[in-house]
Amino acid sequence: MLEIRGVAKRFMSRGALITALESIDLDLEKGEFVTIVGPSGCGKSTLLNIVSGLMPSSEGEVRFNGTRITRVDRRIGYITQSDNLFPWRTLRDNVAFPLEIEGASKQDRYRRADEWIERVGLKGFERAYPHELSGGMRQRTNIIRTLVYEPEVILMDEPFGPLDAQTRITLQDQLLQLWETSRATVIFITHDLTEAIALADRVLLMSARPGRMVRDDRVGIKRPRDIFHTHDNPEFRRLYDEIWKELEVQVRGTMS
Amino acid sequence: MAITNPLRGLSDQGKVLGGQIATVVGVLVLWEYASGRWVDAFYVSKPSDIAVKLWSEFSEPSFYHDLWVTMLEMFGGYAIGGFGGVILGVLLARWPIAAQIFDPIFVGLNSIPRIALAPLLIIWFGIDMASKIVLAATLVFFLTFFNTLAGILNVESGLINVARVQGASEWQIFTKVMLPAATSWIMTGLRTALPFALIGVIVGEFLAAAVGLGYRLNMYSTTYNTTGTMAMLFVMMAMMMLLNSAMIRVERTLLRWKPRSAYQIETTY
Repeated sequence: MLEIRGVAKRFMSRGALITALESIDLDLEKGEFVTIVGPSGCGKSTLLNIVSGLMPSSEGEVRFNGTRITRVDRRIGYITQSDNLFPWRTLRDNVAFPLEIEGASKQDRYRRADEWIERVGLKGFERAYPHELSGGMRQRTNIIRTLVYEPEVILMDEPFGPLDAQTRITLQDQLLQLWETSRATVIFITHDLTEAIALADRVLLMSARPGRMVRDDRVGIKRPRDIFHTHDNPEFRRLYDEIWKELEVQVRGTMS
Repeated sequence: MAITNPLRGLSDQGKVLGGQIATVVGVLVLWEYASGRWVDAFYVSKPSDIAVKLWSEFSEPSFYHDLWVTMLEMFGGYAIGGFGGVILGVLLARWPIAAQIFDPIFVGLNSIPRIALAPLLIIWFGIDMASKIVLAATLVFFLTFFNTLAGILNVESGLINVARVQGASEWQIFTKVMLPAATSWIMTGLRTALPFALIGVIVGEFLAAAVGLGYRLNMYSTTYNTTGTMAMLFVMMAMMMLLNSAMIRVERTLLRWKPRSAYQIETTY
């Protein structure tokens, strides 16, 4: 359903040609949850920017249901690491924003927004402005304002990066529950290998810059998963050790 | 722990207000005492005389006429300059090439001392209200324009991308993201410009006019009437403070989504 073919990204920086991504190939099936791990600066975010249509690639192409992505496409949602909530809108109006864009009536968009707000336990905060919310609440809002308009593909760029460990695992748990019901196709970027394995059907490992795909592992842990205990699973441990060995090489590579 | 604070029980707000009243009263008392004792009253007048003068001004119809004319000129200049500044700021922000062309030109025009421009404006627009309105507008325009332009150009690209990914049209991005994001800049420009509208009008009236508070001020100062001059200064000060607090109220309503800092300085000049 989503095909990434030979995508590369090069740009000039201080007179030098930098290759951020090199020949990326990736096929995603409908409803697949794929995570991408890699050392920082390996171009993970650049890849999502290209897939979302916000940034053109230097080579290669992204196809969605057979058509080439050349600009942003509403069927592809994008959840960024910084929450980017509109500070002048209340929580409810932030969640309802994409519905307002498509011209839904006020009644309809509030009803749909409130459903999602309730599902992630933010009921009671509908009228709060972003600066009145905690980091975890803001990130939850950020996530449901994409889920609310039901894009077929959801790109997530380290959405839990800035959160503390406990909030993080709670949100991972919530994300999996929400995903179980929608089964959207997900590309989720993280630098946390535990998170990558616990959430995914498939874990991809990217090399240090220029970013290439160096591993592609299927995660055989059955769903629905109990995120709080996934790491006890022998399959989890085996994968973790194997991928970690390779990730360590890549991380050390960026240090030298 | 024993607390022997005489202000105990007063809120911070109470302390602040108390301090403000104490300062003003203190200065007035000192002024009243010093005048005629340490300093010649001819130069500094004294608060009690000024109060009496204000009272007699308030009972004179010509004062209200002057006040009315000055306010009209001020609001006229403010409205034209402010509206023009916001509109042009928004337009140029949407049209980056034009912004680059006009930015240095506007910076240049804005660096002309407006007092030096005033005689020319009086030649062009006469000694009636029009020249004062234009003078105030030229001051207000640039302040609002630069703030509006900066506000829109400084909108975080992350916010714009969110809307774009969600399928917003360029027009929706402009009205639903860029304008609201720039509101606090625009409001700052408008609020900073407010006292300049009065400055422009008073300077114009000072140079050539037959009515207005500036004319009245000029009349008193050229006849060495310090009491009358001071009385006019107090009138202008009171007028400006009232307008400024109204402006702050408007701004608060528009920007109620902003985190309030615990300690806010609300003057801009």
